[in-house]
Amino acid sequence: MSAIVKSKDNKPEPIAYSDAALRNNAAVVEYCRTSMAALSGSTAGVLGLTGLYGFAFYVFAVVILWLMFMIKAGSNWNKYYKSRQSLLTSGFFGALFTYVLFWTFIYGMVHVY
Amino acid sequence: MDSSIHRIIVLVGFISLFHSAFSAAQHRTYLRITSQEFTTLPLDIVLQAVLSLFAVMWGVLNVAGNLREIPAAAELNNTKWETQRNLPSFYIFNHRGRALACNYVPSPSKSDLDNLE
Repeated sequence: MSAIVKSKDNKPEPIAYSDAALRNNAAVVEYCRTSMAALSGSTAGVLGLTGLYGFAFYVFAVVILWLMFMIKAGSNWNKYYKSRQSLLTSGFFGALFTYVLFWTFIYGMVHVY
Repeated sequence: MDSSIHRIIVLVGFISLFHSAFSAAQHRTYLRITSQEFTTLPLDIVLQAVLSLFAVMWGVLNVAGNLREIPAAAELNNTKWETQRNLPSFYIFNHRGRALACNYVPSPSKSDLDNLE
Protein backbone atom coordinates (compact mmCIF):
# COMPACT_ATOMS: atom_id res chain seq x y z
CA MET A 1 0.00 0.00 0.00
CA SER A 2 2.72 2.41 0.96
CA ALA A 3 4.66 1.52 -2.19
CA ILE A 4 1.67 2.49 -4.33
CA VAL A 5 1.31 5.78 -2.55
CA LYS A 6 5.00 6.43 -2.98
CA SER A 7 4.94 5.74 -6.72
CA LYS A 8 2.00 8.08 -7.02
CA ASP A 9 3.90 10.77 -5.21
CA ASN A 10 6.86 10.45 -7.53
CA LYS A 11 4.81 11.38 -10.58
CA PRO A 12 4.84 15.04 -11.53
CA GLU A 13 1.53 16.69 -11.08
CA PRO A 14 -0.41 16.69 -14.36
CA ILE A 15 -1.07 20.14 -15.81
CA ALA A 16 -4.33 20.81 -17.58
CA TYR A 17 -3.94 22.87 -20.74
CA SER A 18 -6.67 24.75 -22.52
CA ASP A 19 -7.13 23.17 -25.93
CA ALA A 20 -8.44 26.31 -27.63
CA ALA A 21 -5.54 28.40 -26.35
CA LEU A 22 -3.01 25.78 -27.47
CA ARG A 23 -4.48 25.70 -30.97
CA ASN A 24 -4.59 29.49 -31.11
CA ASN A 25 -0.91 29.73 -30.17
CA ALA A 26 0.03 27.00 -32.65
CA ALA A 27 -1.78 28.89 -35.42
CA VAL A 28 0.06 32.13 -34.55
CA VAL A 29 3.41 30.33 -34.51
CA GLU A 30 2.68 28.63 -37.83
CA TYR A 31 1.70 31.92 -39.46
CA CYS A 32 4.90 33.58 -38.26
CA ARG A 33 7.04 30.65 -39.39
CA THR A 34 5.60 30.67 -42.90
CA SER A 35 6.02 34.44 -43.20
CA MET A 36 9.55 34.18 -41.83
CA ALA A 37 10.46 31.48 -44.36
CA ALA A 38 9.15 33.51 -47.29
CA LEU A 39 10.76 36.76 -46.14
CA SER A 40 14.15 35.32 -45.23
CA GLY A 41 14.14 33.41 -48.51
CA SER A 42 13.56 36.69 -50.36
CA THR A 43 16.35 38.34 -48.37
CA ALA A 44 18.74 35.49 -49.11
CA GLY A 45 17.90 35.86 -52.80
CA VAL A 46 18.52 39.61 -52.66
CA LEU A 47 21.84 39.07 -50.90
CA GLY A 48 22.83 36.58 -53.58
CA LEU A 49 23.69 33.77 -51.22
CA THR A 50 24.57 30.46 -52.83
CA GLY A 51 25.09 26.98 -51.56
CA LEU A 52 25.51 26.32 -47.87
CA TYR A 53 25.55 30.02 -47.03
CA GLY A 54 21.86 30.15 -47.90
CA PHE A 55 21.04 27.28 -45.56
CA ALA A 56 23.13 28.86 -42.85
CA PHE A 57 21.09 32.03 -43.34
CA TYR A 58 17.90 29.99 -42.92
CA VAL A 59 19.12 28.59 -39.61
CA PHE A 60 20.05 32.13 -38.59
CA ALA A 61 16.55 33.37 -39.45
CA VAL A 62 14.91 30.51 -37.53
CA VAL A 63 16.95 31.32 -34.44
CA ILE A 64 16.13 35.02 -34.76
CA LEU A 65 12.41 34.23 -34.99
CA TRP A 66 12.72 32.00 -31.93
CA LEU A 67 14.43 34.81 -30.03
CA MET A 68 11.63 37.17 -31.09
CA PHE A 69 9.05 34.71 -29.73
CA MET A 70 10.96 34.60 -26.47
CA ILE A 71 11.07 38.40 -26.33
CA LYS A 72 7.35 38.62 -27.03
CA ALA A 73 6.43 36.07 -24.36
CA GLY A 74 8.73 37.68 -21.82
CA SER A 75 10.07 35.91 -18.77
CA ASN A 76 6.99 33.76 -18.22
CA TRP A 77 7.13 31.90 -21.54
CA ASN A 78 5.79 28.84 -19.72
CA LYS A 79 2.34 30.38 -19.81
CA TYR A 80 2.26 30.47 -23.60
CA TYR A 81 4.35 27.56 -24.92
CA LYS A 82 4.62 24.00 -23.73
CA SER A 83 8.32 23.77 -24.57
CA ARG A 84 10.93 26.08 -26.02
CA GLN A 85 12.76 23.35 -27.90
CA SER A 86 9.73 22.30 -29.92
CA LEU A 87 9.09 25.97 -30.71
CA LEU A 88 12.57 26.12 -32.23
CA THR A 89 12.50 22.88 -34.20
CA SER A 90 8.87 22.22 -35.15
CA GLY A 91 8.12 22.66 -38.82
CA PHE A 92 11.80 23.22 -39.61
CA PHE A 93 11.87 21.29 -42.88
CA GLY A 94 8.39 22.28 -43.96
CA ALA A 95 9.35 25.94 -43.81
CA LEU A 96 12.71 25.13 -45.44
CA PHE A 97 10.92 24.26 -48.69
CA THR A 98 9.11 27.59 -48.68
CA TYR A 99 12.45 29.24 -48.00
CA VAL A 100 14.19 27.52 -50.93
CA LEU A 101 11.30 28.43 -53.24
CA PHE A 102 11.54 32.14 -52.46
CA TRP A 103 15.34 32.06 -52.34
CA THR A 104 15.71 30.66 -55.86
CA PHE A 105 12.93 32.87 -57.25
CA ILE A 106 14.29 36.16 -55.91
CA TYR A 107 17.86 35.15 -56.71
CA GLY A 108 16.80 34.61 -60.30
CA MET A 109 14.91 37.90 -60.41
CA VAL A 110 17.69 40.00 -58.91
CA HIS A 111 20.97 38.38 -59.91
CA VAL A 112 20.34 36.38 -63.05
CA TYR A 113 18.04 38.57 -65.12
CA MET B 1 -3.54 51.42 -32.16
CA ASP B 2 -0.79 49.00 -31.22
CA SER B 3 -1.57 46.79 -34.18
CA SER B 4 -1.61 49.67 -36.66
CA ILE B 5 1.95 50.64 -35.69
CA HIS B 6 3.06 47.09 -36.43
CA ARG B 7 1.18 47.16 -39.73
CA ILE B 8 3.14 50.28 -40.65
CA ILE B 9 6.36 48.52 -39.63
CA VAL B 10 5.47 45.61 -41.95
CA LEU B 11 4.69 47.98 -44.82
CA VAL B 12 7.87 50.05 -44.40
CA GLY B 13 9.95 46.91 -44.06
CA PHE B 14 8.48 45.50 -47.28
CA ILE B 15 9.20 48.71 -49.16
CA SER B 16 12.74 48.75 -47.79
CA LEU B 17 13.23 45.12 -48.80
CA PHE B 18 12.03 45.87 -52.33
CA HIS B 19 14.32 48.86 -52.46
CA SER B 20 17.32 46.80 -51.44
CA ALA B 21 16.37 44.22 -54.09
CA PHE B 22 16.34 46.96 -56.74
CA SER B 23 19.64 48.27 -55.41
CA ALA B 24 21.16 44.81 -55.71
CA ALA B 25 19.85 44.47 -59.27
CA GLN B 26 21.29 47.90 -60.13
CA HIS B 27 24.63 46.95 -58.64
CA ARG B 28 24.61 43.77 -60.70
CA THR B 29 23.90 45.77 -63.86
CA TYR B 30 26.68 48.22 -63.04
CA LEU B 31 29.15 45.37 -62.60
CA ARG B 32 28.04 43.87 -65.90
CA ILE B 33 28.50 47.16 -67.78
CA THR B 34 31.93 47.80 -66.30
CA SER B 35 32.76 44.11 -66.80
CA GLN B 36 33.86 43.48 -63.24
CA GLU B 37 33.55 40.22 -61.40
CA PHE B 38 30.78 39.84 -58.78
CA THR B 39 32.11 39.03 -55.34
CA THR B 40 29.76 40.45 -52.71
CA LEU B 41 27.15 43.16 -52.49
CA PRO B 42 28.07 46.51 -50.93
CA LEU B 43 27.66 46.55 -47.18
CA ASP B 44 24.84 49.11 -47.13
CA ILE B 45 22.59 46.96 -49.33
CA VAL B 46 23.29 43.91 -47.15
CA LEU B 47 22.54 45.87 -43.99
CA GLN B 48 19.36 47.34 -45.42
CA ALA B 49 18.08 43.94 -46.53
CA VAL B 50 18.82 42.21 -43.23
CA LEU B 51 17.45 45.04 -41.09
CA SER B 52 14.25 45.27 -43.11
CA LEU B 53 13.91 41.49 -42.78
CA PHE B 54 14.08 41.86 -39.00
CA ALA B 55 11.57 44.71 -39.07
CA VAL B 56 9.06 42.75 -41.15
CA MET B 57 9.51 39.66 -39.00
CA TRP B 58 8.87 41.65 -35.82
CA GLY B 59 5.85 43.35 -37.38
CA VAL B 60 4.37 40.07 -38.63
CA LEU B 61 4.92 38.51 -35.22
CA ASN B 62 2.79 41.21 -33.64
CA VAL B 63 0.22 41.40 -36.42
CA ALA B 64 -0.36 37.62 -36.34
CA GLY B 65 -2.34 37.86 -33.13
CA ASN B 66 -2.03 37.60 -29.41
CA LEU B 67 -0.83 34.48 -27.70
CA ARG B 68 -3.27 33.06 -25.19
CA GLU B 69 -2.29 31.55 -21.89
CA ILE B 70 -2.37 27.78 -22.16
CA PRO B 71 -3.10 26.63 -18.57
CA ALA B 72 -6.76 25.62 -18.49
CA ALA B 73 -7.60 27.68 -15.44
CA ALA B 74 -6.00 30.89 -16.74
CA GLU B 75 -9.07 32.25 -18.46
CA LEU B 76 -11.54 30.87 -15.92
CA ASN B 77 -9.80 32.90 -13.22
CA ASN B 78 -10.81 36.12 -14.92
CA THR B 79 -14.55 35.38 -15.21
CA LYS B 80 -16.79 37.28 -12.83
CA TRP B 81 -19.48 35.92 -10.56
CA GLU B 82 -22.20 37.42 -12.76
CA THR B 83 -20.83 35.49 -15.75
CA GLN B 84 -20.66 32.24 -13.81
CA ARG B 85 -24.19 32.62 -12.51
CA ASN B 86 -25.66 33.43 -15.92
CA LEU B 87 -27.38 30.23 -17.01
CA PRO B 88 -29.36 30.57 -20.25
CA SER B 89 -31.30 27.36 -19.59
CA PHE B 90 -32.95 28.95 -16.58
CA TYR B 91 -34.13 32.13 -18.25
CA ILE B 92 -37.85 32.76 -17.65
CA PHE B 93 -39.72 34.76 -20.26
CA ASN B 94 -43.33 33.90 -19.56
CA HIS B 95 -44.12 33.34 -15.90
CA ARG B 96 -47.68 32.60 -14.93
CA GLY B 97 -47.29 34.78 -11.83
CA ARG B 98 -47.87 37.87 -13.97
CA ALA B 99 -51.60 37.02 -13.98
CA LEU B 100 -51.64 38.21 -10.36
CA ALA B 101 -50.74 41.78 -11.37
CA CYS B 102 -53.66 44.27 -11.24
CA ASN B 103 -53.04 45.64 -14.75
CA TYR B 104 -52.96 42.21 -16.33
CA VAL B 105 -54.84 41.83 -19.62
CA PRO B 106 -55.37 38.18 -20.48
CA SER B 107 -54.24 37.21 -23.93
CA PRO B 108 -56.79 35.50 -26.16
CA SER B 109 -57.07 31.85 -25.42
CA LYS B 110 -56.72 29.12 -27.96
CA SER B 111 -60.48 28.58 -28.31
CA ASP B 112 -60.98 32.31 -29.11
CA LEU B 113 -58.41 32.11 -31.85
CA ASP B 114 -60.19 29.09 -33.29
CA ASN B 115 -63.53 30.92 -33.40
CA LEU B 116 -62.13 33.82 -35.45
CA GLU B 117 -62.12 31.82 -38.64
